[in-house]
Amino acid sequence: MSAPFDVQRTSDETKLTIRRSLDINSAPALADQIDKIVATKPTRVLVDLSELDLIDSSGVAALVKLYKGVRSGGGAITIAGTRDQPLAIFKLLRMDKVFNL
Amino acid sequence: MVATIRLSVPGTLRYRPIAVRAVAEAARLVSGSPQRDAKNPTIDPLAHDVRHPFDTAVVSAFMEIFNNVAIHAYQRKGGGAIEIEIALSKDAIIIEVRDDGRAFDIEDVAQLPAELDEESLPEGGMGIHIAKTMLDEMTYVPGPPNLWRLCKRLSTTQVAVGRS
Repeated sequence: MSAPFDVQRTSDETKLTIRRSLDINSAPALADQIDKIVATKPTRVLVDLSELDLIDSSGVAALVKLYKGVRSGGGAITIAGTRDQPLAIFKLLRMDKVFNL
Repeated sequence: MVATIRLSVPGTLRYRPIAVRAVAEAARLVSGSPQRDAKNPTIDPLAHDVRHPFDTAVVSAFMEIFNNVAIHAYQRKGGGAIEIEIALSKDAIIIEVRDDGRAFDIEDVAQLPAELDEESLPEGGMGIHIAKTMLDEMTYVPGPPNLWRLCKRLSTTQVAVGRS
């Protein structure tokens, strides 16, 4: 069974895959990963949400933190594969345009 | 005909997945959204099958209210129960959530910024906004017991949420 999230680093990209539910119970563990990713000042980050089924406001907050952290370090960040409930939440919060979903 | 489902869980986040699964399945009974084929070996058994806009609205709102009760009413310490009563009819769901914790000041919830850009992306205070926007009606009556009442109708769903 696949982990709730994993990080793959290549020479020019950091890819973060998040699965199942990103919520108040899973967001704290992801926040640790996010701090580590931001600390490396990556030039390109890809967040793959194609396996993400559910998100709540805590999960959104974690992704906003990653987005701001990467951008303020001068990096580019792409959020890809958003579907179903998570896409509805980003649209409701009007973040779909900022995140270019 | 109205069917009623009652579930009581201890008031901590540990029991959140049980409550969320129950609400998701209840919403599905109203929306008629078919389940993914459970025999398909490529489907993750832990996946959450929430695709229909009605199920999306109900589950999204409920998750935020459960979080609110566990964090604000019970201060992440538990010490009481979260009583969930789900009333299903042919075209609507009403979920009542009761707790015996601290009352929540719903008037104190901050508004999201009118214009959203990279600078103004919020990192908190979104939960009540999500719940309210997803539902047709949401009321809160401070207690004890505190009572959240969430209502969603199938007929208004397409307009409010839209298909993704």
